[in-house]
Amino acid sequence: MDYDVLVVGGGIGGMESSLKLGDMGYKVLLVEKEPSVGGRMILLSKVFPTLDCASCISGPKMSSTVNHPNVTVASSSLVEAIHPQADGSFRASVTHKATYVDAAACTGCQECEPVCPVAVPDQFNADLVPRRAVYLAFPQAVPKKVVIERAGTSPCSGECPAGIKAHGYVALAREGRYEEAFQLVLEATPLVGTLGRACYAPCEDQCTRADLEGSVPIRAIKRFLADRHYAESDTPGVSLAQANGRSVAVVGSGPAGLTAAWQLALRGYAVTIFEADDEPGGFLRYALPAFRLPGEVVERDIQNVRDVGVTILTGARVSDPVALTTRGFDGVIVATGTPLATPLEVPGTDAEGVWSGLDFLRDVRLGRAPSLQDQRVVVVGGGNVAMDAARSAARLGASSVSIVYRRGRDEMPAHEDEIAGAVADGASLRLLLGPAEVVTDSAGRVSALRCDVMRLGEADASGRRRPEPVPGRSELVEADVLIAAIGMAPDVGALAHVLDTTHGRLGADPTTLQTSVPNVFAAGDVVVGASDITRAAGAGRRAAINLDRFLNGEALGPIDALDGRLDTIAHDSVIRRQARYSEHAAVERGLNAGELASFEEIERTLSEDEVLAGASSCLDCGVCSECGSCARACPADAIDFTMRDRTEEVRVGSVVVSTGFTLFPADLKPEYGWGVYPNVITGMQMDRLIAPTRPFNTILRPSDGKVPERIGYVSCTGSRDRTVGNPRCSKICCMYSIKQNQLIMGTLPLADVSMHYIDIRAAGKRYEEFYQQSAAMGAQYIKGRVASISETPEQNLLVRYEDIEGTGNIVETEYDLVVLAVGVQPNPAAAALFPDQALELDEAAFVFEPNEDLQPGRTNIPGVYVAGAASGPKDIVDSIAHAGAAVSGVAAYLQAHRVSTEPELMGVTR
Amino acid sequence: MTSPRDQREIIRDEPLMHRPILAALADGPRTIPEIAAALGRPSSEVVYWVMGMRRYGFVIEEPEANEDGYFLYGRKDAR
Repeated sequence: MDYDVLVVGGGIGGMESSLKLGDMGYKVLLVEKEPSVGGRMILLSKVFPTLDCASCISGPKMSSTVNHPNVTVASSSLVEAIHPQADGSFRASVTHKATYVDAAACTGCQECEPVCPVAVPDQFNADLVPRRAVYLAFPQAVPKKVVIERAGTSPCSGECPAGIKAHGYVALAREGRYEEAFQLVLEATPLVGTLGRACYAPCEDQCTRADLEGSVPIRAIKRFLADRHYAESDTPGVSLAQANGRSVAVVGSGPAGLTAAWQLALRGYAVTIFEADDEPGGFLRYALPAFRLPGEVVERDIQNVRDVGVTILTGARVSDPVALTTRGFDGVIVATGTPLATPLEVPGTDAEGVWSGLDFLRDVRLGRAPSLQDQRVVVVGGGNVAMDAARSAARLGASSVSIVYRRGRDEMPAHEDEIAGAVADGASLRLLLGPAEVVTDSAGRVSALRCDVMRLGEADASGRRRPEPVPGRSELVEADVLIAAIGMAPDVGALAHVLDTTHGRLGADPTTLQTSVPNVFAAGDVVVGASDITRAAGAGRRAAINLDRFLNGEALGPIDALDGRLDTIAHDSVIRRQARYSEHAAVERGLNAGELASFEEIERTLSEDEVLAGASSCLDCGVCSECGSCARACPADAIDFTMRDRTEEVRVGSVVVSTGFTLFPADLKPEYGWGVYPNVITGMQMDRLIAPTRPFNTILRPSDGKVPERIGYVSCTGSRDRTVGNPRCSKICCMYSIKQNQLIMGTLPLADVSMHYIDIRAAGKRYEEFYQQSAAMGAQYIKGRVASISETPEQNLLVRYEDIEGTGNIVETEYDLVVLAVGVQPNPAAAALFPDQALELDEAAFVFEPNEDLQPGRTNIPGVYVAGAASGPKDIVDSIAHAGAAVSGVAAYLQAHRVSTEPELMGVTR
Repeated sequence: MTSPRDQREIIRDEPLMHRPILAALADGPRTIPEIAAALGRPSSEVVYWVMGMRRYGFVIEEPEANEDGYFLYGRKDAR
């Protein structure tokens, strides 16, 4: 037996049960779903009829519970299921939700909260005020530990192949914290400016906002961050680890190599990049056209790498990377990309005027491209290189640009934006044409491309439909220049004697990127074939982290940034959080107005206003943005994003269900206007406004912050009301309203307080006197059910009711603020605890007590007891008394079944 | 003016509104309706933002409400 008793719920009933059982010597596990025990009572202002401070009297009980030697409190935990066992005991599964905070380290200082950029409604203040994604539930929380609300990984962050925390930098940018946002991207890669321009932004494809009026302009925000930083600073501004005395060689300086070098340099390695070309950057510099990625941006990103101490050797081709390990390098990362153009294997490709796409783009970048003035250019291929070549040709003055592709547009591997861009630049798509022969003129120069007409057959291994020639049909596409851009491949032939190069790529473990030589790793397109720069950057990060592990003698494996992300939250889960959405004006991508002949950037950088507008449309899908601000602010180093939910099985002797109640959702009485009129609030909201830890500085109208002068109460909202399916009295509403009446008159002596009631139910010790006292203080009690509430232009409220004890007429009274005394409803969580044997409920769906007169607290399941308002509406006094009854039942049950963790308690054990 | 916006959406804007609200308070404390007028936003939204900023130490109220029943909120760093 792990515990004698499992208590489910840490409100006043659960705490009282736990304390009493603990005092008896029983071992108790108290499971509370919230981060603190205390339930609703700790959130109240005062209690009736004594007007004792709620937190003053429940605070000590909370501390006693958590510190009781026989009580183990599991906060932020859920009881998933309880299974009765044949011997009278129970097996329960309990999930301890990850709080992402080391409770042993957290001091509750709350330094983390002001720096968190994500604001959500504070449920512990009845949604009257924002809280942060990282938060202490309330000032008196026990345990006093902050927690982080994470609903999952935001789709944008979850989709980034480089592990960039897109939500994080958007959230920081929204607050104007641009430098912190820039630094967050640097955690992943030095290529902030590059990715801000040339990434295909899978984050935006996955953005939940795209389901509404359009994606957050995530990539453009990143570009703004980079441009702003580079305009203001000459250095990346990062901190390096102390030099560790080890050196690493990185072969290749494309996105994978640069990112790998960056990651290793940050970790204290002396890194040398070997680049075969004259300048570093790989495809960033030599393949991507300047109108998409200017050379100065690439150079500035590369400067980040140099600034952290990386040595870049250019013109340094490495034919045997393994040999570098014998030249003083402790490890090597090979990231040589896919420099080889896949040849177009048809007759005539040796004709004058035939280019490979890579060579063409390279010459364009180097300023030695041929003039294409009045030339008919045909580009073969459907990928991004083909689109870049076509768009470049258009800028070089071609009279026509045709893109020949053997499949249809839907099968084109190029990014849709690139295809659309090529078409916008004037290129025509010649689809379902398969190149068959380069036709030349008498001078041996290309004059046309003869193509087979194709049709689509079954899908091939890539999932795309396979093109098949239509027998007997061909077309001639006239051309003065032919650019073949049908694929790229790694150049690994020379490595075959030292590394695995099966399938024409460098073999490496897909998770660790370790090659067949233990201290040689590989990253990027040389491993997987042509992909994109963001994937390559992610691979560089993966390889660097695993090489670091290898050199430190640690186990290799997945990396948190890419493989350890929480599951991505589904769009509909996010969308459901709001009843309505206002439309955000789309942020235009800002195309530069320029001539087609120009290689000027086709996009411009967003203005700060545009960035703020775009960032403000972020829905904070995962709630926490993973920006890491809390971790940086925490003086105790308590933030732990690697924490995960943990489920344990426990065996217990008995169970106390103290799951409490829920409050009637006031919007189910639309005639009262809650949720529509800001100055109609609930009783719980008023209790928070009165409480010492109130969300406002005093009692104020939510519409405009005015101190209200006329406050009206509407009793029986959601109780004694068949129209909402609840004919029962909620028992506590009259008394908490009267309590609030008195407290308001104390706080706002000039305020008029009135309460519209059906009957005053003041049945309890000194309750009637409490009511009379309130009336004597000046509160008005008006008999008659309120029919409706409407709002005046001044946002006052007209309460319409039948004046039963006065004129008998239907009258309207105007208030500044109206409080709905909402009733009590059952908590459906109670019944869900027992999947094997139904926990019986009464007609109102509260937990049923078969013999509540003589055996209060006993349920239909032997060994399961109910304490407090889980079995029906109860005030605090009754809840505590009821818990006492449940506890006595538990003790008797344990004795009868002689099931205990403490044999001496039982005399005999099983 | 009542906001037609969802409460969660309004609250989400609080960090975004720090700078404009602090700018609106540059010349001294203001009431919620005055801040709302300066921003051109509904008072009911400004209540959420100002109370959030008050919670996290960016603004602080004057000790007493004015004769119209409104408190004035000023920049805490101006104190």
